Amino acid sequence: MLCARQLTKKVRSGAHELTVLDALELRITAGERLAILGRSGSGKSTLLSLLAGLDTPTSGTLSLFGDAMSDSDEDGRARLRAGRVGFVFQNFQLLPTLTALENVTLPLELTHARSKSATAREWLERVGLGARLDHLPRQLSGGEQQRVAIARAFVTSPELVFADEPTGNLDHRTGHDITELLFTLNREKGTTLVLVTHDVALARQCERQLELVDGQLHPLVEEE
Amino acid sequence: MLLLALKSLRRDLRAADVRALLVAMIIAVAATTMIGFFLDRLTQGLERQAGQLLGGDVVLVKGAAFSDTQQQRLRAAGFDISQQTQLISMASHDGAFQLASLKVVDRAYPLYGQLMIDAGQGARATQGPPSDGRVWIDRRLGRALSVTQGDTFQLGRSRVEVAGWIQREPDQRGGLESLNPHIMLSPSTLMASQLIQPGSRSTWRLMGRGSADAVARVRPWLEQLKDQGVRVMDVQTDSPRLGRTLDRVQKYLSLAGLAAVLLAGVAVAMATRRYVDRHLMTVAMMRCFGSSRADFSRLFVYQLSWLALAASLIGAGLGWLGQYGLASILSSMLTLALPAPGLAPLGLGILTAVAILAGFAGPTLLRLENVSALKVLRRELDPLPASAWVVLLMASAVFGALLWLYSGDAPLAGWVVIAGWGVMGVLWVISLGCLAGLSRVSSLLGGPWRMGIRQLGHRRRSSQSQLIAFTLTLAAVGFIALVRSDLLSDWQQRLPEQAPNQFAINIQPAERDAFVAALDNISSRRSDVYPLVRGRISAINGQLPREAVPEDARDDGNLRRELNLTWRRTLPEANRITRGAWFASDPVDAGGPVPISVAERLATRLGLSPGDTMTFEIADQHVTARITSIRKVDWESFQPNFFVIFPPGVLEGFSHSFITAFYVPPKDAPAIGSLVSEFPAVSFLDITAILDQVDRILDQVSRAIAFILLFVALAGVAVLYAALVASLPERAHEGALLRVFGAQQAYLRQAHISEFVMLGGLSGVMAAMVVEAGLAALYAGWLDLPVAWHPLLWGVLPAAGMLFVGGLGVAMARPLRTQAPVRSLGLLDEI
Repeated sequence: MLCARQLTKKVRSGAHELTVLDALELRITAGERLAILGRSGSGKSTLLSLLAGLDTPTSGTLSLFGDAMSDSDEDGRARLRAGRVGFVFQNFQLLPTLTALENVTLPLELTHARSKSATAREWLERVGLGARLDHLPRQLSGGEQQRVAIARAFVTSPELVFADEPTGNLDHRTGHDITELLFTLNREKGTTLVLVTHDVALARQCERQLELVDGQLHPLVEEE
Repeated sequence: MLLLALKSLRRDLRAADVRALLVAMIIAVAATTMIGFFLDRLTQGLERQAGQLLGGDVVLVKGAAFSDTQQQRLRAAGFDISQQTQLISMASHDGAFQLASLKVVDRAYPLYGQLMIDAGQGARATQGPPSDGRVWIDRRLGRALSVTQGDTFQLGRSRVEVAGWIQREPDQRGGLESLNPHIMLSPSTLMASQLIQPGSRSTWRLMGRGSADAVARVRPWLEQLKDQGVRVMDVQTDSPRLGRTLDRVQKYLSLAGLAAVLLAGVAVAMATRRYVDRHLMTVAMMRCFGSSRADFSRLFVYQLSWLALAASLIGAGLGWLGQYGLASILSSMLTLALPAPGLAPLGLGILTAVAILAGFAGPTLLRLENVSALKVLRRELDPLPASAWVVLLMASAVFGALLWLYSGDAPLAGWVVIAGWGVMGVLWVISLGCLAGLSRVSSLLGGPWRMGIRQLGHRRRSSQSQLIAFTLTLAAVGFIALVRSDLLSDWQQRLPEQAPNQFAINIQPAERDAFVAALDNISSRRSDVYPLVRGRISAINGQLPREAVPEDARDDGNLRRELNLTWRRTLPEANRITRGAWFASDPVDAGGPVPISVAERLATRLGLSPGDTMTFEIADQHVTARITSIRKVDWESFQPNFFVIFPPGVLEGFSHSFITAFYVPPKDAPAIGSLVSEFPAVSFLDITAILDQVDRILDQVSRAIAFILLFVALAGVAVLYAALVASLPERAHEGALLRVFGAQQAYLRQAHISEFVMLGGLSGVMAAMVVEAGLAALYAGWLDLPVAWHPLLWGVLPAAGMLFVGGLGVAMARPLRTQAPVRSLGLLDEI
């Protein structure tokens, strides 16, 4: 489903060039749940952005759903994502001027799906926000906003969902509820899940855990 | 602290909002200083050209020669001076006699413009009089006396030689002396002719060329001279047409300058919003670290003061260069020489920058003072945005003050601010309604069109401020453009293509029909033929005129001189009744007092109303009449106009002649020669030169206005830029999210097109409403022009809005469509 070879990303910081990802190799199969761990600043978010085609690597190749992403332009990569990739961000990334329902409908607007509003409403009910359809993000708590974001990620029935520190901005209990919701939906829909986190406990809920160290991925070595 | 502020400003210059702030202020200062500098020069230049019609910036007229002391007084005040003597005398040659108007000029003549003399080698610009014993004459006199160049004729006691033909005199005047053929000669030639004798009727003119300052310096002295019976004329008072034209031009240009300032202010207000948003976190951090409110307030005040200083210097420099550029661009078109600009506009420009910053950015900046340190922990804890009404209140106060400063008209400034509040209130309601409507309309559309238009409705607050900002921008440009074309077309309508360029006076009753028939053979357009009787006002309401009129009108010349009276059954073309009613069909037969119609200007001056009676002394007889109507007369129509019109059946018994105005194409002018010989008693007055000069001035004004309009448009672009910069982060976020969900560039582009085109179109419609309302108020209240409806406006402004807001918005949002979404979403904050 997703294959990265010799993936390298360098960024310039003042006069210095920093290698964030160094000839990284990764293969993800359909239906897999993968957790990518790493310390702050290890390049987790950069890797996720590259895997999702939100940014371009300095070198290396990437393919998604069998199509070479590294050969595509911005539009080509967007086309690959449309309706097939969902996202859950640490800081929710809801549009502040849209209601919960409108935020969830947004990805459907880009597809030819029918009864968009009804589908979005269904999903909001699934995540327990059936009564908050017309609320703006600022009228919702952090946990509720992340539920909206999860509904938005799943509303197009995507094959792959990227989650970037989905509980990073939430308290322990709310984080726990959100994790449960994410994994339940993932299991129900048989979606491939790529989860970026620094929370080992959260990572353990995935079948495979990789740790990003010095720009490369290594199987997680659990410290006793 | 000052240096710290400068340092942080340098870092901040990378931010689009600070750049927008700087650009907006630069444009405001550049536009103000450029308009100020140019206006300063243009006004001086136009006054000088208008001065050509008069012969000088100041012209003194009296019945005796001006003393050396008087001449010295003008020189000392900084004037170049020239003295003329004018008298009417008989010229004769071989038994032919012709009354001629003599103009005796000195070496300094002409002070303005060009005297064109044809001495056998075509017309050439000439300075000073012909040599002694020689004269220049106009061709009419040549025809009347049958003399040609080199011939001599008798003038007073001496014979003079025709040295050349007068082609054009720059200071050609109307009035009786212009009716006769002209002779120009030197003071010595006049002395030799011995025409000036004690008691002879002649007029001396002392003309001065000097700056407005010089005119102001001698103003008190001129007032004293008036009391001594000297007639004093200057550009503003003597030439109503040009005086009003200049007055309108000045009003118009200051209006245009103010529109540029207003727009730049709107741009500053919009850019400040983004600037403040961006600094909220910094301030919260500073508060966390223990900075007092005064500390960081000072930092921002210093930072913005540096910005204002930079904008003032750059803007003033550009304004200075711009006006030179403008003058050089127009130098081939502007036939008038522009004097060097003064320094006053520079100060005005800098003051404008500071005022704009304080008025348009101040209230929004105050928001920084209310940032809580807690925001560091809870990012969403932003202080409430400055109330739009507070921003508006402050901005309108500053705008009103600037308007007052520019126009010198406090009531006007007050009314404009009050009207501005009304307009803003109406726009607020309409824009709210439009945005609510858009959300509904969007559901009828599909795909990106729906997305773009719906977003407008969703971002209600920012969309509303953008809508109002763009409305003001388009309204300002539309307003200035329309006022320009209305002013010009109004002027041009007053001067139709075939405006009369000749007057025929002194047509005797016996030859009236024959003359009119002959005239109609050579002229396709002529005014009605009016009878003319001369009469003096001998009583008003049975009292002596001096006692019956208001105190300040007691010395009015109209009470002393003979007025031209006429009679007529119907209201003349260029007249409109403002009070009372025109004569009934046969008012005289109906008995009762004789009804008359009086021109508004005379009625106002002498305090006359319908019902008042006036007695006229006509050839030793007294005719009493009652005013039944007051007429507004278009004195600039170049048609015969009269202060007093009688009905038929009253004045016919008195000695009278007829007058008419007509148009003869310049190429057919020689045909007038045959009229002259056929009707020798008729006097002709050629006003082509005056009309040409007025035309030239209008043309220059029109070009200057077009150029200044460009600057207003530039300020408009600054508004668009600032508004878009202010809304970019919001749009960037939306665009990036849509990209994440798989939106193509084309999708985003269509969404942006629909959003910006809709925004522009709506702004255009709202702007058309504002312009129509504003024009109606302006024309009726300030410019004294007829109020008219502008259907084209409703098409052009929305189209221009769609084009410019759409084009610029879509272009500026391009990076949002092409940039990798990860940047816009801030996912790389932490690697």
